[in-house]
Amino acid sequence: MSEYLIEVKDLCKKFPIKGGLFGREVGAVNAVNNVSFKIKKGETLGLVGESGCGKTTLGRSLLRLIEPTSGQIIFNGQNIVNYTPAEMRAVRRKMQIIFQDPYASLNPRMTVGDILAEPMEIHGLHTEKSKRKARMLELLNQVQLPADALNKYPHEFSGGQRQRICIARALAVEPEFIVCDEPVSALDVSVQAQVVNLLMDLQRDLGLTFLFIAHDLKVVEYISNRVAVMYLGNMVEVAESSELYGHAKHPYTKALFSAIPHASTAGRAGRIILEGDIPSPMNPPSGCHFNPRCWNATEECRVNFPPITNQSGTHQYRCYNPIK
Amino acid sequence: MAEKVLEVKDLVVEFRTDRGAVKAVNGVNFDVFKGKTVGIVGESGSGKSVTALAIMGLIPNPPGRIANGQILFEGKSLVNMSASEMRKIRGNKIAMIFQEPMTSLNPVFTIGNQIEEVIELHQPHLSRSLRTAKAVDMLRLVGIPSPDKRINEYPHQLSGGMRQRVMIAIALSCEPDVLIADEPTTALDVTIQAQILELMKKLQKELGMGIILITHDLGVVAETCDTVAVMYCGQIVESADVNTLFNHPAHPYTKGLMDSIPSFDSTSGSKKERLQTIEGMVPSLFDLPNGCNFQDRCSKVTDACRGSQGDPILKPSKGEGHYVACFNPLN
Repeated sequence: MSEYLIEVKDLCKKFPIKGGLFGREVGAVNAVNNVSFKIKKGETLGLVGESGCGKTTLGRSLLRLIEPTSGQIIFNGQNIVNYTPAEMRAVRRKMQIIFQDPYASLNPRMTVGDILAEPMEIHGLHTEKSKRKARMLELLNQVQLPADALNKYPHEFSGGQRQRICIARALAVEPEFIVCDEPVSALDVSVQAQVVNLLMDLQRDLGLTFLFIAHDLKVVEYISNRVAVMYLGNMVEVAESSELYGHAKHPYTKALFSAIPHASTAGRAGRIILEGDIPSPMNPPSGCHFNPRCWNATEECRVNFPPITNQSGTHQYRCYNPIK
Repeated sequence: MAEKVLEVKDLVVEFRTDRGAVKAVNGVNFDVFKGKTVGIVGESGSGKSVTALAIMGLIPNPPGRIANGQILFEGKSLVNMSASEMRKIRGNKIAMIFQEPMTSLNPVFTIGNQIEEVIELHQPHLSRSLRTAKAVDMLRLVGIPSPDKRINEYPHQLSGGMRQRVMIAIALSCEPDVLIADEPTTALDVTIQAQILELMKKLQKELGMGIILITHDLGVVAETCDTVAVMYCGQIVESADVNTLFNHPAHPYTKGLMDSIPSFDSTSGSKKERLQTIEGMVPSLFDLPNGCNFQDRCSKVTDACRGSQGDPILKPSKGEGHYVACFNPLN
């Protein structure tokens, strides 16, 4: 067994674009393009980027909720890309996902008890009635919800509490790996902090491994050991979170961090304002995809796609003219 | 001192529901000055947006109504104004940008049509060609590339950031004296947010308008506002100029909000201390406690907060223009 729980190699996901009279394939969107990374056991990898950069597609492909086009996903030493649905089901017990919108991801007609029981039913866990009840109460306790929540419906809870229910549901099958897809984006600031603390406590107590997807860089930097930055389907930089914030190499990372408004009046100056929008992933710019918005771009950037620098090290980036 | 353009006094907005009347906004006071930005911060349901809608005269009635208070624009009361008079001010003198650029534009009209509509309503003397020229100018002003071509495009052909720019162009096309921006960047990515905030600051300088910026993001407030009002359960619990508020917050709720945001700290290697949180949840507007609305979540709560001395009211704190509604303010 290696120290890595999950290892992704050259993962690609193409979405075909259909057009013309007979719906022929006229092109493809490279939502995720040759992405490789590893996550250690008990570690949190943060994944940031603007909307449409492929964060969510990547997160879902790891669980094969979206079928990847090519590449390998090695989970616990096994490549799960070609697993049959039955084999996949066994693996899914070990990998769970928490979605962004706690209002849309809970069935309004099921009580919290039913919601928590369903994954156990599917995976045949705690089949004895009393044991299952005990497990459900334990889960509620872990996410700090009162025991009487079992008989209530989702609408009786606030956003933060619903997200706790979603977390409890993910924990019900005792997973090792959880993809957190923007779990706190829909919550108010004061509630957001409660859920972030809860996730970190659970990770410590249960030894969980997280892929934490968010567009809020402050939360990602806080919760993650390492952070990966995506731009138009490519991973452009990955590093230890404090290293990334302090010494970003890729101009896009630098700009992304500098765009965050700080909750203090000291740092108003020194903002890098990027020109333009994210290009369409259907027709990405040649060379480095970031070159039309980059202030360091040279001729080379417009022609060639930059390779990963420092393949073996902890701080990797794709850039010909990194920031010193 | 800058010129005061808008004054909100003791504003109370009530909504009638099956469970009784509920006060979404309860006694709010603030002023908007020419060329200055007032920030209104608070969590969802704190009454920020309802305050904005009340100023615009857009509270749906029934079930809502302005139960008390005054909104004075250049000395004239907007509350009792007739619908036709209000129409002359709304969109012309006071304009608003909404949160969702995706849903606030009409998908079946070109963006040119939608900008020209506003100009046609408020400046009927302009000919059609002048209107079009003005619409192109507005698009250029908000930084849309090749505006003469873009003007014939439909909203779905534009990105989120571009649509928000169009919304701003519409709002500014009559050169309003007051611009209300209700979460203008919440739906946008950070890099686009930075562009839009920068744009609003630049336009404010050029046109000298007063801005009311409604947001839940304290970062956005720190970057753009001159004065800030913090709302909780329909009331302003603290107001101050932006430096005072961020450096010396006096209300435990304000302090709590600031502490619950993770801050970058690249210097400390072994950071990751727990985030400070505000315990509990915002109480339901249907059963607010006696006394301070924040009492159940506050660490400094005393008997006074539980209603023995009535409700806390905004009182001057240390420093000029700093007001706080708390019996036990911080330092």
